[in-house]
Order: sequence, then structure tokens, then C-alpha cells
Amino acid sequence: MPLFAPSNNRRKEVRVAVVAAGVVSPLGFGLKETLAALREARDCITPVSRFDVAHCRCKIAGQISDKRLAKETSSGRRAKRLHRAAQMMIWALREALEQDPVFKPELSVVGTTSGGMTFGEQYYRSLHECGTLRGAASQIANYPPQKPLIDAQEALGILAPCQVIANACASGTNAIGHAFECIRSGHHERVLTGGYDALSELVFVGFDSLQASTPDRCRPFDRARSGLALGEGAAILAFENLDTAEARGANILAEIIGYGISTDNHHLTQPNPSGAGARQAMEGALESARIEAAEVDYINAHGTATPFNDAAEGKAIAELFGDVPVSSTKGMMGHSLGAAGAIEAIISILALREKILPANLHFETGDADLSLNIIANEPRSAAIRTVLSNSFGFGGTNASVILRTIGA
Amino acid sequence: MTLRIAGMGWVTPLGSGVNSVWERLLAGEEAVVEQISSPLNARVYPAFRVPVSATAQLPPHHRLRRASAISRFAVAAGLAALEEAGLTMSAETARRTALIFAIANGGVVYTKRFYHEIVETGAQAASPLLFPETVFNAPASHLAAILGIAGISYTLVGDGAAGLLAMKMAQDLMASETIDQCLIVGAEEADWLLCDAYHRWRLLRDAPPIEPFAPLRRGTILSEGAGAVVLSRSGDVELDRVDAGTNFSRQRDAASCVNRIFQNLARDGVDVVSASANGTFIDAAEQRALAKQCPGAVVYAAKTALGEAPGAGSIWQIICAVQALRENRVPPNLHLKSDPVFRQDKPNARATPFRRAIVSACGMNQQVAGLALSRVG
Repeated sequence: MPLFAPSNNRRKEVRVAVVAAGVVSPLGFGLKETLAALREARDCITPVSRFDVAHCRCKIAGQISDKRLAKETSSGRRAKRLHRAAQMMIWALREALEQDPVFKPELSVVGTTSGGMTFGEQYYRSLHECGTLRGAASQIANYPPQKPLIDAQEALGILAPCQVIANACASGTNAIGHAFECIRSGHHERVLTGGYDALSELVFVGFDSLQASTPDRCRPFDRARSGLALGEGAAILAFENLDTAEARGANILAEIIGYGISTDNHHLTQPNPSGAGARQAMEGALESARIEAAEVDYINAHGTATPFNDAAEGKAIAELFGDVPVSSTKGMMGHSLGAAGAIEAIISILALREKILPANLHFETGDADLSLNIIANEPRSAAIRTVLSNSFGFGGTNASVILRTIGA
Repeated sequence: MTLRIAGMGWVTPLGSGVNSVWERLLAGEEAVVEQISSPLNARVYPAFRVPVSATAQLPPHHRLRRASAISRFAVAAGLAALEEAGLTMSAETARRTALIFAIANGGVVYTKRFYHEIVETGAQAASPLLFPETVFNAPASHLAAILGIAGISYTLVGDGAAGLLAMKMAQDLMASETIDQCLIVGAEEADWLLCDAYHRWRLLRDAPPIEPFAPLRRGTILSEGAGAVVLSRSGDVELDRVDAGTNFSRQRDAASCVNRIFQNLARDGVDVVSASANGTFIDAAEQRALAKQCPGAVVYAAKTALGEAPGAGSIWQIICAVQALRENRVPPNLHLKSDPVFRQDKPNARATPFRRAIVSACGMNQQVAGLALSRVG
């Protein structure tokens, strides 16, 4: 049953358009650079430079250059106090608003997992080392997870209330899904959505302690996969009632047609090996979109490259979709946690518009018991109409969204 | 679409249970301050802590074995709210129930402990048992697992307005007839690290009491606990309107933002306001809006008795507003200094019933929101 099935006496469901998008990730700054990286199947995962990883198993991550970030975002005293996540958000939001300068959201629903965590780390280290705490007040004020979104809105003159979803690695897709439902139900006309996260030592070491991150390379769905590589970034999507967007002549990038969510109560950090949680989210999205599995042309998988996630997700995909082309783009840019779902939604839009199926890097052989049509190592060209994008996270949160080319 | 409050659960430094805590508030009681000290610099801070007895009745569950205090508070409040709503969680009920969790600082005790090991010893000492509990949605995950909720579960992060933003999300979700009820839970745990941070942020006072709407804003005292509300289609108090508010850039802009929210919510009348005054700069903004938009309303500020628990605070305020509407009285405002508009230091009962209440949430980190409730019948 779709989440937001209208009753007989309620207004009909509203269609939801994506009218603008902005992105910063290890793949690049903006849609253009992101597309170029996807075309080249560029591996943007590099040795970690932000903190000491000598005692970690994993030593790599998808990272955004500080120098470039500082250059690309605004200067000034206030801007310099902002967290890197806020700077990324400002860049992504600015790119989106440049595409649609008249877009004024009524609500923002955005995902993150750790917001300004590194400010918290710096503050704690200073306390621990009894060092100078001169900048502590500013670090503390800018540490809260919702702050980067508020900062970005402030920088660009947006006053919409901020609902910041922290559903671990599913946060970005959950945010997109809820934003979609807010418009589809007729409650809102325009909603800003997306996700952000910046690399932090605490989170990096946390995944390393769980042996969830790789000491090797990030190889989603490969039999020899050994874990994820973390990443960072920010992505923003502007959603609008399709009718009003068309009426004002907005450039429509794609349509969101379905959303599914499930909570897998199997374990705090591991998916149910049967793939039931992932399957429930994907089935929910199909039902919400009122389409058959056969209508999906490409799946942008969560595909973290951890043994458990890829096995459970792969099983659910194979059972539901058969041999639909699948790739995880995390092999190129790492897993940017709360930003991942939003960045991957933008990659899905690029796939729809540019007729490209992004590559799944470092794939040689899949699991013996899984038959998946992996887009191995090189992108493919294909005219596709419908894409499903998955995100799954700690706490058992699973989310899937379905995007479609407009007019399809 | 009619949405109503069907059940509530309350875990506070004054104990647990809606009726029990409410009676203590009516009697003019306030939580007792505990001194908690930082092992890093030997500073001592006041905080209001939840007594162990408040969560002693939790049913055994493997998810709670290692769970942090914040998860235990949330589970206790959530279960109590469902019980008051008369809901037993069958598979079908769970399928038609959404869980929305509001949080500000999250599992700070485990997060600090996890990072402390990294700082003290190095990454090789990091605990794989602690890390999952540091994730913001860990408490929601535990509660969902205990209740068997396999569908919608969202954790919202924010400042003191997070609880009302969660109510807004619940309102949007319940546009769907596939959802029968939302369980909204706000929770917080106190720790010396948070106290140190709020002290450096110049928001914490050195000793009690919290003085609401005082001319000199000496700051607040941090607290902990949880509040839970079941939003359903039946109940004796209706959710009239939620104003998800906005964000103010500078402290001096807060007044106009809060005023706009009160203006929006008070246009259909207001008898009682459950205020978010906590002794900090934000009180001035709220006070001005109250004086302008709700001049005849009875105002109650619960944080003077319970302390400031940002993730839970606005849900606590909703509970106070619902109780005021149900019982037609509010507890005394404690430590109110001089403002004659709010002079009200005895339990306030009226001959004419309270019909409509406003809950305002003025967060300390830029977010403000509000909602209006009315008594059914």
C-alpha cells in the first residue's frame, strides 16, 4: 500500500518535479563535473589527509579538497567560522538556486548523520589537552547537526523551517522521500531537500572499529569485497508541485514518482541477511509509484561493499528485479553517509538525462549465489526512463526512491 | 483531517508518569539539582537528573542491555504514551504506526566515551560496541525494535524546537490514511560535557534557580528525560495548527520570528500558553510576543521546575498544555521575578474553562516553532 494513498473524498495526488539540483562530492563541484567523473568512471577515493589514520585498518576515503572548498565558497569572517559541511551546503544550494532563482521553499527536509562533528572533536581534544579554548564557543555553536543547513539557508536568504533527518546512512533518501510525500499529499507546493556530511575522525574510526571499512579498495558487490570507504559531500534538490512548476515554465530535471521506507529490527548495525528490510523498502517504492518492477531500467544501489549489506541488498534486488542493470557509485566516491542518498539521487537524474548507466568500480566477480547485472567498471550508454535509488542505514532504516524522466 | 492527542508519557527529573509529575508541578515542586563534575578540568556544573526509579519498571529487552540512558528514557516514555492511548502493538497496529523521534544532543555519554578512548589511547582502542550507540537514530531504533515498528521511523535533530518540528512531520505523515497514529518521542540525556559546552556558550547558569523572563538573563540549567505523545484521530485534545516556524540569524532577530508564530497561532484565541522560557536570551523574544499577541492568556513555563532538556523540552511543554486543557489549571511559575504581565506564582485555576492552548518552542540555536491545541467539546 502506498504511504500516502489518498482516500476517496480527498484531492488527487500531486505529481512532484525536481526543478533544480546542486552537488559537491569527491566526484566534483556541480552537476557538470559530476557528470564528467561518471563518464570517466573516475576513482576519487584517496588516502585520508584530514586526520591521523596510522592505527586504522582503513586508510582511504572520498574527500573534498579544503583549498577548493575555501576558494569556491564565500569569504568573510562569518563564513570562515562555518563548518566544512556548511560550506559544502552553501555551494550545493547556490548551484541549485542559480538554476531556479525564483524557487522559494516552504519547508526544508534534509538528511545528515553527524553535521559539524569535527567541531565537537576539536572542542573535546582541546578540553582533554587542557589547551586553549579560545574558539570553543564558536565551535560549540556551529557543532549541532542541523547547523549546516541553517547556515546555508541563511547565506542564501531562505527562511524555511528545517526538518533535519538523522536516520544514519538512509538520511538523505529518507529526506527526499518525506519531501516528496509532503508535496504529493498536497500539504506543500515547494520543498527543499537533500543531504550533507563531512568526514570526521569519530565516524571514520567508528566504522573502522566495526571492521566495516576496507583495508583494501572499495569493491561493491564483488566477491572479494572487504568493506566501505567513507566519503563526504552535500547535495540539494528543489521539489515542486509539477503543475505549478510547468505553469511557471520551470526547467524540470526529473519527476519523483515513488518512495518506500522500512525499519529492519534485526540488529542495530546489520541488515536481516534475508534482504527482507531492503525488499520491503523497494516494494514500497514500487507500490507508491504504482509501477511494476519490470519498468525499472536501472538501480543505483546502496552497495557499500560490506559483505553483509551487499549480500542482503543483492538478494533483494535479484528476487525483485531479475537482471536489471545495477551499480553502486560508492566505489568512485565513497560512502558519504547522510549525503549519500541525495548525491545518488542526483547521479540518478544525470543517468536519466544523459542516458548513462554509471559504473560499479573494482568489480571482477560477484557472489556465487547472486546473479546481478552489475555495470562493471565502465559506464554504459542506455536510454532509460525509470531509476530506483536505495539507501540503507544503521538502526535498520531502509529507503528507496524512484525517479523518472519527465513525460515518460 | 482531525488529529488528536490520544496518549502521553513523561520521564523527568521529577519522576515519571503524567499524573504524578503534573501533581508535583501543581504542588510547586521543582527538581533537585545535582552537581556533576568534569574529570578533565574539575569544574562542577548543576544539572537536573532523572531518578533511577523513573525507568526501573522497563520490561527486559535485549536491545536495552547496552542502551544509553537516552534510549531508556525514550522507551519508558513511549511505552507509557501507548498505554495511555490504549494501544497494544499487534503486527497490524505496528504497521499502521509511525515513530518520530526528536533529539538535540543525542547519546552524548557514549559518544564522549567512544571519542575519549580515541583521544586517550588511539584509534586502535575504539570500541565497536559503543560506536553504534553514538548514532543519532539508535534510541529510535531500539524503540522501534521493542514495539515491532517495521515501517516509518524518523529521527529529527534540532534545538529546543525539534519536538515541535517532529509534531509537524507527524501532521504531514498523517495526511495518509495508511497511518493510524504517530508516536512522537523527544529525549535527552545530561552529561558534564554538555554542561561545559553550554557554559562556554554562555547559556548555562552556575546555580539554580532558573528565572524565567528575568530582566537579567543568567542562563539555564540542563536537564534530561523524555516525553512522548501519541497523535491519533481520537482523543480529548485536538491539534489545531502547527507552525513549523523559521530560523533566526542573530539573537536580536529572534523576537520578530517568535512574534510572527504567536500572531499566527493566537488568531483563533488563546487561554493558556505553555512557554519555553528557560532563563536565557530567548526569554525576551518570547516575552515580547506573549505581551503583544496573548495579553490575557495564562502563561506557564515548566522549565523552571524541570530544567532545559532541548530534545525533550517542547514535548514536555505539550504535555503541560494538554494537562492544563484537561484540568483547567496550571502549576505555579517558579522564580518569576518582576514582570507583572506574568505575575502568577500560585496554581492558576479559572472559572471559565481553558479551551485553547499555545505551545511555543524557542530554541537556543536559531530554530523557533509553535503549535496550538484545543479541548474537544
